[in-house]
Amino acid sequence: MGPLIPQEIITGQWDFVIALLIGGAFGFILESSGFSSSRNIAGVFYGYNFVVLRVFFTAMIVAMVGLLYFSYFGWIDLDLVFVLPTYLNSMLFGGFLMGLGFVIGGFCPGTSYTAVAIGKIDGIVFATGFLIGVFIFAEGFPFYEGFYTANDLGSITIGEMFGVSNELVAFLFVMMAIVAFYVTWLIEKRVRKNMTEYKFE
Amino acid sequence: MNKNYLVLAILMILLAVGLLLVPERQNYQQIEPEKLMWDITQTSRFVTVDQVAQMIIEGDPTLELIDIRPVADFETFSLTNAINIPLDSLMKPDYQDYLGIEDMNVVFYGNSDINADQAWVIAKRMGYNSIYVMQGGLNCWIRKIIQPVEPDESASQEEFDLYQFRKGACAFFTGTKVEAPDAGKTGIKVVKRKKGTAVAGGC
Amino acid sequence: MHVHELNPKKTVITMIIFVVVIIAGLLTIRSPRLKYALTPEQTVLLTASDNGGISPEKLELLLTGSTEKVEVIDIRNHYEFARGHIPGARNISAVELLENDNIKWLRILQEEGFTVVIYGKDQLQANGPWMVFRQIGFSNVTVLLGGYQYYLAYKDNKTQKYAPCKADFNYDEVAKASVADGEDNNQPAKKTTIVRRKKKGGAVAGGC
Repeated sequence: MGPLIPQEIITGQWDFVIALLIGGAFGFILESSGFSSSRNIAGVFYGYNFVVLRVFFTAMIVAMVGLLYFSYFGWIDLDLVFVLPTYLNSMLFGGFLMGLGFVIGGFCPGTSYTAVAIGKIDGIVFATGFLIGVFIFAEGFPFYEGFYTANDLGSITIGEMFGVSNELVAFLFVMMAIVAFYVTWLIEKRVRKNMTEYKFE
Repeated sequence: MNKNYLVLAILMILLAVGLLLVPERQNYQQIEPEKLMWDITQTSRFVTVDQVAQMIIEGDPTLELIDIRPVADFETFSLTNAINIPLDSLMKPDYQDYLGIEDMNVVFYGNSDINADQAWVIAKRMGYNSIYVMQGGLNCWIRKIIQPVEPDESASQEEFDLYQFRKGACAFFTGTKVEAPDAGKTGIKVVKRKKGTAVAGGC
Repeated sequence: MHVHELNPKKTVITMIIFVVVIIAGLLTIRSPRLKYALTPEQTVLLTASDNGGISPEKLELLLTGSTEKVEVIDIRNHYEFARGHIPGARNISAVELLENDNIKWLRILQEEGFTVVIYGKDQLQANGPWMVFRQIGFSNVTVLLGGYQYYLAYKDNKTQKYAPCKADFNYDEVAKASVADGEDNNQPAKKTTIVRRKKKGGAVAGGC
């Protein structure tokens, strides 16, 4: 049955409608998880708040397990689902930059917009800087195109790369997530005990 | 630890374990036996040698001829720009890339049409579309195109036109062989299909 | 920790959603009526081994000898069947082959150890149905080599030998030999780049 557009069940013109719906839901979840506060986001770095890790890990494993079940039920053809090509160098460097921006700025691109939506000035500044960065990157793209496209692994998934089934990968990720939830909960408890300047509800 | 989190974590683990237990996902590409049988009863999969000859002569870029005979036979004689996929290696991944290329009409041929039709049935089962079988195979090709027989005087104008076409086609095919033996091989290169036909998109 | 996180109903709601989705999924799994028993790779081997056919001579022996259990199916349409068929054949036209009753009947035949021979007007017509039957697990189904046309020819003249997949010519030789016939060969091959879609059922038609 799915994915709907590649299977031509609905036309490509629905792209933007679907994007709007998903975007709205995404923003709602970000805001209701408290991601518009940079304290929550930078908390991962200082170890007093791991809500970012919990929310994203939960979303990931639910989506992962859900898609595999959907595939088993015959609701979606995973072979037709877009897999982002992996450019190893730029992924590593981009991940590093993103983490740096996370701690320094206190937002990630999506959450900066939820912050803009509730009228936070730091969010507006962050979002503006983000747009300027995108502009500079786009203008200067020819200079680092070689680096950007280096080490192209293609549209590869973890399962394909290591020759194991997607089900096993999903299972391992769920286990990893559960362990991560428990460990971060322990860390949070210890760090929060020593903190006096920030009151937790 | 909050009890709710515990319950949800256990739910997630159960679901993940369930994933390991579900049977292997079936291949969606394959069409069902009923559909396959229906397609087999349709005769629209057959193209005549005259149609193939005309497409080759006109340099039809959508034509992709696939020779399903063994490699040795292919090397001694083949049609212009044909690709060799011996019937017994049809399912090898390397060769699979030649099927299902967008906008290409694949025409299978062999000595006769039986083997080509078998290749067609398997390819059809695998869900490939725009595939055809050259009726009569190379035997028919030789009889009709290379050694055309002049129709009786009482034959219709249409048959004479067809005969004229075949004479011309014969000159075209046998002529190229003598003028430049390699001319046929350096024509249109078939670009291999890219893996996965997914829509582009990202974060 | 936020107060709303402690709402116990949230867990229940989540659980219910998950369970409902999974139950809905299990209910909507379609189990196909007919399943492939052979993988495509096995099917390729089947065609390569090329022992699926039965020659008219052998069919004649099977039909006259009473020890073998044989059923013959004529897959041509009823009109063609009425005009002439192999004695003892049952007429099931190609489009009706996979109907429930026929599948049931074939299953019974398979269990009782019958050999089922299918034929069409030529071997090509029966080739596809034969492959489908083999692929969905009827290993007792075989195809009459040459089809009805050749069966008739065999009846007339028993010496004829049928070899459908052999080359009738040495193609390379023939292709070169035609050149010596004094044809006008000097015209070089023109490479046109006209994009032309395949016309189905065009003016050019012919049958082998």
